[in-house]
Amino acid sequence: MPEFILEADTVEFSYPDGTRALQGVFMRIPRGAKVAVLGSNGAGKTTLFLHFNGILRPAGGRVRFDGREVRYDHRSLMQLRKNVGIVFQDPDSQLFSASVFQEISFGPLNLGLPREEVRRRVEEAMQATEITGLKDKPTHLLSYGQKKRVSIADILAMEPAVIICDEPTAWLDPKHAEQVMELFKRINNGGTTVILSTHDVDMAYSWADYIFIMMHGTVIGEGTPEEVFQDGELLFRADLARPRLVETWAQLRNKGLLPADLPLPRSWTELFELVPTRRAPGTGGPAPVYVLDREGTPACAACSARRR
Amino acid sequence: MFAIDQYAYTSRLRPVHPGEKLAFALVTMVICLASVSPAAPLAVLLIMTGAVLFRAGIPWRFYLKLMTLPLSFLIIGVLTVAVSISTGPPPPLLSGRTLGGITIGFTAASLQLAVLLFVKSLGAVSCLYFLSLTTPMVEVISLLRRFKVPALFVELMSLIYRFIFVIMETAEKMYVAQSSRWGYASIKTAYISLGQLVANLFGKSYHRSQALFTALQSRCYNGDLRVLETPRAPSRSNIMLIAAVDLFLAVLALYTGGGLIARIHP
Repeated sequence: MPEFILEADTVEFSYPDGTRALQGVFMRIPRGAKVAVLGSNGAGKTTLFLHFNGILRPAGGRVRFDGREVRYDHRSLMQLRKNVGIVFQDPDSQLFSASVFQEISFGPLNLGLPREEVRRRVEEAMQATEITGLKDKPTHLLSYGQKKRVSIADILAMEPAVIICDEPTAWLDPKHAEQVMELFKRINNGGTTVILSTHDVDMAYSWADYIFIMMHGTVIGEGTPEEVFQDGELLFRADLARPRLVETWAQLRNKGLLPADLPLPRSWTELFELVPTRRAPGTGGPAPVYVLDREGTPACAACSARRR
Repeated sequence: MFAIDQYAYTSRLRPVHPGEKLAFALVTMVICLASVSPAAPLAVLLIMTGAVLFRAGIPWRFYLKLMTLPLSFLIIGVLTVAVSISTGPPPPLLSGRTLGGITIGFTAASLQLAVLLFVKSLGAVSCLYFLSLTTPMVEVISLLRRFKVPALFVELMSLIYRFIFVIMETAEKMYVAQSSRWGYASIKTAYISLGQLVANLFGKSYHRSQALFTALQSRCYNGDLRVLETPRAPSRSNIMLIAAVDLFLAVLALYTGGGLIARIHP
């Protein structure tokens, strides 16, 4: 089995209005990984995704799925779209049916599966996205978050090898955004490769295994979250902020509160475990920590900072 | 219109097989329209109103409001039937007046006909309201699909139904955005704003249709919007009840058929 499930090899694409959306994109998606694609609006993320399941055809370069070059005859396209599913950003332009159940059944039915199998897949997808209770509700009476879940279930029911989701947390409140990210973690645990596009560096940092940074239709950087987010020059070029966790960690390290050789933590809990607790002698409570230079600090009765 | 849609999804008759509801509404409506005496239409009106209020649990205020909607059309229509204008020798008027050879007034026959028309129309309307207040559009479309109505028709219907709400929402947002910038402050600006809204809405809808097509394509769309139906078991007792009610109405219509009018014109 090839190591990379999807590959874009110097893909170029221009829209009819002349916008050069992709200018030689080189991107290889590791099989079974959680991949985040970062980049500002207009960087070409969505255009690239549409190449990954054959909606758009590259003007130059190649797209490979599972090591084989994508071909554009009807049968090959159907095979590709069965394996690579896209959840679009706006659920209102993806959901075409007023019935949630019928909506989700559309994809698997197109795969030519028997009715019983389709029914099983729809039920499973609804369970995985926790929308079984919405089965008999009409699409137009759902909230935005619920519609988002239906649009994810749409693709899950097709059981693709790769799920691509364009800005899954846009317009979601923090709680629902986190639930959606958890959902993608579970989907990935089942062996599906998940690709997300996002602007949210904090989310990308804690969620992804591998990160691509796109700008002006090319990939300008890639690597593990630790690599990418410690590359200050790359972040500056891409106009991205450092994740707050990385920033805090770097600041703590620079001030000598953390040893320099520790690995970058992936979550706040990990970071807090790294910070040593100092006990004030005698009381057992936490001792005050002075970030300032000891010499400039006035003597303190509560601790022996000056004396030591 | 949207309230009807919401009631359809939440009415107590929602779990009933849509085929049964459709059959009940249609057969009853046919009896109502075929009847030549007001007795059967009156019974239809009563039965349907009872079903909507007590079985489906629709609030009576809302139902009353719905029933008054067709009233203005109905009253104008009925008046033109009731009032007879003649230039010849005056017919046996119940009340009326002759002015310069033209007689305007009510005859017994025209009055009877007007009453019949009135109750028939209201009866038929109540049948349609029963259907639309208890059966969601999705289920009606499913039925049509099962009756082998051409796919093009059914698909268009379901897409239109889905996108009425999406486009309405878009229009609403645009309206709010415009009026928050004084877009509807005077009649002149209102006309300009409305024109822009409509033009914009068309553009947006076109854009949306393209996006929808892309999304469908990425799910292996190949020209057919095939979806899976959830099978519903018909209920024997419901079918019996419907048959009994409609049989009663048919007998009533036949028994009173022609009775009132025949007595006037022996």
